[in-house]
Amino acid sequence: MFRYVSLIVKNSLRNRRRSILTIGSIAVSLCILGVLIAMYRAMFQGMPTEAQALRLVCRNRVSLTQPIPIYFRDKIQRIPGVHDVMAWQWFGGVYKDSRDPNNMFPRFGVEPDHLFNVNTEFQLPDDQKLAFKNLRTGCVISRALADKLHFNLGDRITLVGDIFPVTLELKVVGIFNEPSNVDILYFNREYLREALPVDSSQRDTVGAFLIQADSPADVPRVAEAVDREFEATPFQTKSESEKAFTLSFLAFLGNLKLFIMAIFGAVTFTILLVSGNTISMSVRERIREVGILKTLGFTPGAILGIVLGESAVISIIGGAIGCLFAAGMCSMIAHSPGSMFMPALKTLGITPLVGLLSLGVALAIGVLSSFVPAWNASRTSILEALRFSG
Amino acid sequence: MAETVIQTKQLQKEFIRDEFHVVALKDVDITISRGEFVALMGPSGSGKSTLLHLIAAMDRPSGGEILVLGENLRTLSDRAIAHWRNAHIGFVFQSFNLIPVLSAVENVELPLKLTNLKKKERMEHAETALNLVGLGDRMHHLPRQLSGGQEQRVAIARAIVTDPDLILADEPTGNLDATSAQDVLTLLSRLNKEFGKTIVMVTHDPHAAHFATKSRHLEKGELLPEGQVPVDWTVPAKA
Ligand SMILES: Nc1ncnc2c1ncn2[C@@H]1O[C@H](COP(=O)(O)OP(=O)(O)OP(=O)(O)O)[C@@H](O)[C@H]1O
Ligand SMILES: [Mg+2]
Repeated sequence: MFRYVSLIVKNSLRNRRRSILTIGSIAVSLCILGVLIAMYRAMFQGMPTEAQALRLVCRNRVSLTQPIPIYFRDKIQRIPGVHDVMAWQWFGGVYKDSRDPNNMFPRFGVEPDHLFNVNTEFQLPDDQKLAFKNLRTGCVISRALADKLHFNLGDRITLVGDIFPVTLELKVVGIFNEPSNVDILYFNREYLREALPVDSSQRDTVGAFLIQADSPADVPRVAEAVDREFEATPFQTKSESEKAFTLSFLAFLGNLKLFIMAIFGAVTFTILLVSGNTISMSVRERIREVGILKTLGFTPGAILGIVLGESAVISIIGGAIGCLFAAGMCSMIAHSPGSMFMPALKTLGITPLVGLLSLGVALAIGVLSSFVPAWNASRTSILEALRFSG
Repeated sequence: MAETVIQTKQLQKEFIRDEFHVVALKDVDITISRGEFVALMGPSGSGKSTLLHLIAAMDRPSGGEILVLGENLRTLSDRAIAHWRNAHIGFVFQSFNLIPVLSAVENVELPLKLTNLKKKERMEHAETALNLVGLGDRMHHLPRQLSGGQEQRVAIARAIVTDPDLILADEPTGNLDATSAQDVLTLLSRLNKEFGKTIVMVTHDPHAAHFATKSRHLEKGELLPEGQVPVDWTVPAKA
């Protein structure tokens, strides 16, 4: 087979325009497919970290935007298997010019006494932890956010509320390291409560609770117990693992999973059909050469190998180009502002496995789409093949 | 008595497709000995190409016997036939049939790729064959950069590069002008005389037939006895 390589390569690139178009369409579809596989892996396959595996999110069953009463907190704390609970309040608001996507980092009102117990992966010097507990208007930010917006300890951050009719004047008292490299800001929920008007119903509710279970095995049981606890109240809850929550949070933003699948799938499939058709056309056109090779003594098996090899060359080149583009797109998505909603996207990339998978798909397209014409060509009788004027 | 290279007995070829049924060869008995250069002549549709294809085992007979270089072609498998043809037969077409993406020397090297020769040896053989046909200075030209006569000489180089016992040519000068035809015929004649190759050449052209050592005529699928020409045989005007 090896000695046919030069023939295979020369043949596969002979019709330059068509080869480029075929390679191009395979590259485009493989680029889309590569990003799709990478996204799928990052979002739905990524293993939860050790700390994450312990955490659950409890929120209003109706929707994330519906609050639940703060007094649920103590009831949750008493449920067996619950190690710690923290109120967790999404605070939208505006920081400086909201048109700059860098200014759109997420901010949450939390309980300083619990934040670092529940999120054991956050690393912060003890004196900064203490400062966060003691200063009501203090806030802590992730290293990634500090680096991006050049925040230092002692800096002031003003957040103008939108969901909440308040303006928060925060002071950076801590910068923590965490593994997923997200932009995020935590402030004291108590400060928000006090800033709200005395008669505001928002004072006694919270968006969600972050629960830490005793062990990963307790997570499903705790989720069930929590939801059962509040079943009879007007505020039914939905508790799930943090990983599942992140996904449903995305579902809340728009059914992303289905979106990815449907759009990308359809586009890919269409392009595959087109490139498959082109490949099989080019095989049929050259049936006469098959007759020549057979006259020289090439066996049907050798011919099958040569024709399949040609399609494989084209599709592997297309696949490799597609993977390169996919890698570029992944890094763009990973650095886009949208990724702050989903730390998993930060890890988006064409890993060797995803790359191999994509190249495998490309190879399969090439071989599958050319197999039937290649098989027919290898079985055509010499005289019939020679009579073919293509 | 020279060694027999080709021997057929009552060779029969019919083409049957749907309702129509053509007898292309009827009871052909022909014997060709080593070192002969036979011109196979006859009107269009008389079965010349069909006979040549059966000798090259590019098609299978419908009846009768065919022995080429001692092999009973009817009993060989397709795979065995492919190897046999690569080793023993050089075929030259009217329309050259070079692979357009390969240079002259690569086209000539092609049949050697099926042998055990190393790349270097293959190239040496291919270059020798091209030198022999007088195209040593055109090794790296693509077929489209060559004239028709040169293309046909490359095709002949490809046919002889494996040093086959038998060269079969189907109207090798049919697509060529008079000068190029003359070159090709001289070349074939040299291969016959100097290298002792057995050649069977189909041709319409009596002038071309002069280069052969012997002419045989086919008519409506039947081989006329040696020395006999069709009754209405008139020497066609030279183009
Ligand atoms: N594949 C085929 N199917 C049906 N009939 C065929 C086939 N090949 C050849 N024939 C018929 O067999 C007969 C002999 O054909 P062949 O090609 O051998 O003639 P030829 O002597 O080479 O003619 P020409 O000088 O025109 O090349 C013709 O009647 C032809 O129509
Ligand atoms: Mg013919």
